[in-house]
Amino acid sequence: MDLGTLRRVAFGIGGITVFLLLWKASGDLEWVRRGTMPDPLAVPEAARDEWASGRLLPAIGSSLIHYIWGLSVGTVFGFLVGGLAATLRWFDEAHYYLVRLLRPIPPLAWVVFAIAWFQVSHAGAAFVIAIGVLWVNYFATYTAVQNIDPRYYELARAFGQGKYLQRTLKVTLPAAAPGIMGGMRAGVGQAWMTLIAAELLGVPGIGQEMNSAAGVGAYEAVVVYMLAISAVYALSDMMFSSIETMVLKWRP
Amino acid sequence: MSVISIQNLGFRYPNSKNWVVEDLSLDVAAGEFLSIVGGSGVGKSTVLRIVAGLIQPQFGKIEISGNPDQGRRRRALVFQDGRLMPWRRVSENIHLGLEGLHLTKEQKQDRIDAVLKLTGLTKFAERWPHQLSGGQVQRVGIARALAVEPDILLMDEPFSAVDAMTRRHLQTELVRIWQGSGKAVVFVTHDIEEATYLSDRVIVLGGQPAQIVREEFFTMEREKRLDSSEHSGMSERLMASLNDGIVNGGAGT
Repeated sequence: MDLGTLRRVAFGIGGITVFLLLWKASGDLEWVRRGTMPDPLAVPEAARDEWASGRLLPAIGSSLIHYIWGLSVGTVFGFLVGGLAATLRWFDEAHYYLVRLLRPIPPLAWVVFAIAWFQVSHAGAAFVIAIGVLWVNYFATYTAVQNIDPRYYELARAFGQGKYLQRTLKVTLPAAAPGIMGGMRAGVGQAWMTLIAAELLGVPGIGQEMNSAAGVGAYEAVVVYMLAISAVYALSDMMFSSIETMVLKWRP
Repeated sequence: MSVISIQNLGFRYPNSKNWVVEDLSLDVAAGEFLSIVGGSGVGKSTVLRIVAGLIQPQFGKIEISGNPDQGRRRRALVFQDGRLMPWRRVSENIHLGLEGLHLTKEQKQDRIDAVLKLTGLTKFAERWPHQLSGGQVQRVGIARALAVEPDILLMDEPFSAVDAMTRRHLQTELVRIWQGSGKAVVFVTHDIEEATYLSDRVIVLGGQPAQIVREEFFTMEREKRLDSSEHSGMSERLMASLNDGIVNGGAGT
């Protein structure tokens, strides 16, 4: 380990320690209403309890179902709409006003329809997540494709690859891949952000467990679920990042 | 026999009132090395792109003769910026032109191997473009064009972005490759010295719309050109008409 890494680790641990101390103090000194600040030192025990109760893993599993479905559907549609809009003029024109109309609506506003259409179900939660992810991917793909250097298209044409499908496969997709992948990675994060809120509507998952723990004042348990979210996100981001490196191995 | 015949070509860009060329006629003989020189913006590259079939002229006819053959392309273009796809390895970049041709996988690989060898790139086949020098990038561009076995090699200032040493080296190599190939080359450059060293014939474009303001044939062996006073005299005269074309817009020449 070189000096720079050592320094970073030392400061990193220092930062977390200071944070924990402040957190502990905030409860002990009653900076917030008594009984609402979880005790950081009680969190490990709460984690053991949640694990032993058999609620933690099923909750994570259920959330992963929403997550994976919502993320996949949102990514595919966002990518398709963005890609088509950026490459087909009629599609671009046809969707222009529609996007400006729908884009400002926050994903969570769709919870109402999620319940109406899917009741309180996995599909409902996945639907809300998908909407958030869709926009992230839509904009990333649209921008990435629009910013492709037109000289690559000229090159493709010069060597007989000028038709839409050929252009798409040989220029558009590979040239826009860094931007598209960046959007997908942002979507991986965005999906987590909406996930908990989507589950607060009552679908089984981490969000619901948090809600019910908070209802009985078990704030340490809430922290356990928060940490679970953090861990699963770190894992999925790491996985995606290694896929990204593999796909974009041509980059310097 | 001419392999390209351009008759009464007229072209202007959409939304532009000015004709780039209005009535340009030009023949290129089979196996001929022709250079087109002219100041920047005169329309050399535009004419080359019309010949390449990348832009459509409003008037005139371009005939490309030769046998239609499903395993080849008639024309191949070499770009000023090399223009490799950064997401493809060197061999995959060369492969681009072969896609869509009626060749087996083995035939394609043979072509790639052959042009890699011809351009001295064999050991770079698996490199990514960002791992190449400027001169190597241009060589890949040339290899990619040669791989489609064109009758006509169209080159758009291919050596203008590389350093002087590399440029001289690439020019010599190009002559070597061309001499054994029987291909016609249309070489666009703003560098008279380069044009007169490489070519059988040099035409100077000038004015707006661009016209051929001068034409000069070079028959001396290329190795002797560099230190021949007769040759440098011809180059100087060409240079004079080039400058004239730039200063006076080609009028009166």
